[in-house]
Amino acid sequence: MAEATEFDAIVVGSGMSGGMSAKELCERGLRVLVLERGPEVVPERDYTDQLAPWETKNFDNVSQDEVERHYFRQYPGVPYALKESNKDFWVKDDEHDYVEAEGTRYEWLRGYHTAGRSIMWSRQTYRLGPQDFEENLREGVAIDWPVRYEDIAPWYEKVETFVGIAGSEEGLSQLPDSVFQPAFELTEAEKAFKRGVEAAFPGRNVIPARVAHLTDATEEQRSLGRSNCQLRNRCHHGCVFRAYFSSLNATLPAAERTGNLTMVHNAIVQSLEYDPESNRVSGVRVVDAETNETRTYTSRIVFLNASAIASAMILLQSQSESFPTGLANRSDQVGRNLMDHVSGAGAAGIMRGFDDRKVFGRRPGGIYIPRYANVTENDKPYSRGFGYQGGASPLGHANGQIPGIGREFKESHRRPGPWRVSIGAFGEQLPNPDNRVTLHPTRRDRWGNPLAVFEVRYSRNEEIMLEEARTDAIAMLEAAGCEQIVSAPVNLTNPGNRIHEMGSARMGRDPAESVLNGWCQAHDVPNLFMTDGAFMTSAACQNPSLTYMAFSARAANYAADLLGEGVL
Amino acid sequence: MKTRREFLRELIVSVGGVSALAACGDAPVVVATATGEPGRFHTPEEMELVSRLSELIIPRTETPGALDVNVPGYIDGLMADWASEETRAAHRRALTEISSRLSANGDFLALDETGAEAALAELDRSAFEEAADELGGYRTFKGYVTRSYFATEGGAREELQWVGVPGRWDPNVVVSDRQGV
Repeated sequence: MAEATEFDAIVVGSGMSGGMSAKELCERGLRVLVLERGPEVVPERDYTDQLAPWETKNFDNVSQDEVERHYFRQYPGVPYALKESNKDFWVKDDEHDYVEAEGTRYEWLRGYHTAGRSIMWSRQTYRLGPQDFEENLREGVAIDWPVRYEDIAPWYEKVETFVGIAGSEEGLSQLPDSVFQPAFELTEAEKAFKRGVEAAFPGRNVIPARVAHLTDATEEQRSLGRSNCQLRNRCHHGCVFRAYFSSLNATLPAAERTGNLTMVHNAIVQSLEYDPESNRVSGVRVVDAETNETRTYTSRIVFLNASAIASAMILLQSQSESFPTGLANRSDQVGRNLMDHVSGAGAAGIMRGFDDRKVFGRRPGGIYIPRYANVTENDKPYSRGFGYQGGASPLGHANGQIPGIGREFKESHRRPGPWRVSIGAFGEQLPNPDNRVTLHPTRRDRWGNPLAVFEVRYSRNEEIMLEEARTDAIAMLEAAGCEQIVSAPVNLTNPGNRIHEMGSARMGRDPAESVLNGWCQAHDVPNLFMTDGAFMTSAACQNPSLTYMAFSARAANYAADLLGEGVL
Repeated sequence: MKTRREFLRELIVSVGGVSALAACGDAPVVVATATGEPGRFHTPEEMELVSRLSELIIPRTETPGALDVNVPGYIDGLMADWASEETRAAHRRALTEISSRLSANGDFLALDETGAEAALAELDRSAFEEAADELGGYRTFKGYVTRSYFATEGGAREELQWVGVPGRWDPNVVVSDRQGV
């Protein structure tokens, strides 16, 4: 039987946002095709989370030569996640090259396979707050978001109920509570740190990290084969318990059970075909990653969820007489305003008084200090702000780097040792149209697609902010009574390193200065939607996956409504 | 029971590092064998030193020691399969430096238990007291021994009480509970 090529909707990309788009569209009764550029991941075959340390080659370390040869860009950014037994989840840099503009660096960390990076993410999950949708306007930065927090709040709630997020209700205006399952309780040292910080700095809060892990799985989640987190800390290898959220663990199975999902792997989208008469995307042209054969799929609507960078590149590659600089790019904003979060400032110190305590289990997240800068404290020499991620845990005797030999040395590892608190900032990067991804004029990949060229620089605001974040971190550790505080000089992470790329097709009210409207729908081409990080008009400082999914669900239902009404 | 020398000899000739399939899936596992193959990286002399040092750093107590779980074999495997040329060269230099220091007053490997422990304890003290880089190689080596030991089933399960599937989170365990991690 010939493969079907006509669908109601095509979703490009099966990761965090693509999975949610597909689920919502399928559940609305649409026949949906998901195009995934990489191979299929089958949990029963490809997850390696069940392996014990001694069951992995070289204790799960990728050989140094292989890192040098294949993962020279991926590995430095994620040495904690890229291991021998899961290295195939990460692209090989020598096979997926890109170009950095002179004097700039960019770390494009990727996974090409079913569910994309949702398999490898670190699962920190936070809502944006009302201020995040208003500050561009208030500060005269870039353009105003065309939506406000109230517009997206119901969709956060819908998505959270499905995803499953462990967290605590805090009632903070800048970091609204989600629909939570029970949080992972703070350690005693973290509670002491919390008391110290909150007493010394009213307006700052230390709360349990909010993570997309099941701790009280709902009937709906159990019906998808998901169960509660087993506290193994094997998440970057997949999870046979499906306890953490990924497209493969949750949204794609939910889409599949509707009977409306078709998934095609190894399908690299080269361009979107445009019909000027109807002013619609008329086809999605793909090249097969294995055979190099090209083919075209058609549908009534198209959702780009290939990642902020790849989706922008697809538009730039889709040139026509009507759109000579790329589809839906009359504003010239496609590829611009590329943002990430910025880290590289933090501090750590020893908390005395807990040497007789340790923990049982390996939880997925520690503490979070929500943004306070320019929220509860308005005396800052910079705009926007940052949150801290961190935790307190027994220092242990890492890697044998303590004096002693023999029985005493050996048995000292049973004792937790002093407790160490560490916090690191995740700061907001301001939008800047000069920070962009473009297509290389001549260099092509093995499938004939142009290489990405990155030109992204941080602004003075980010530099000042991170210096202040370091100072604040030290002050909070001191206030909490920490000793032996250490804090390396600020060294900003390279753009891309936080793996939160966004902003490359921003939403706005005016088609002259934005690519998408408030529904993630292209101003120029009504049957085109983008709900990966591309739509973000500003970056906020919270980990963004939840926001991508909330906007995906909202846009998918809006698109389904338009289809139902015959508008599209 | 084998003597220490016999045990060492077996190890020295047995770290061929032949890969085997784990019981769980198709994961390749570096294992030591008893087939009489030489070390894939270390010379027999180096292997003897690595083994003696490993045993002194993490001896057999009520739980397995470094030799019981074949730490020398794993270090040999890491050097053969994981390490770059640069790392291998540094490791080799470290072994030479360690051997030289420990044998300043005679053959370290010929010392009895008390003498060997005293000599290594002195070196270890120096390594963690001195800021000098010249003993950085020893500290790195000690790291290999420790990480390897606690990544083996014996080291993790029996000594560290490591639990593969904790199934729950307890943020506040009194240490004397001897509960797993």
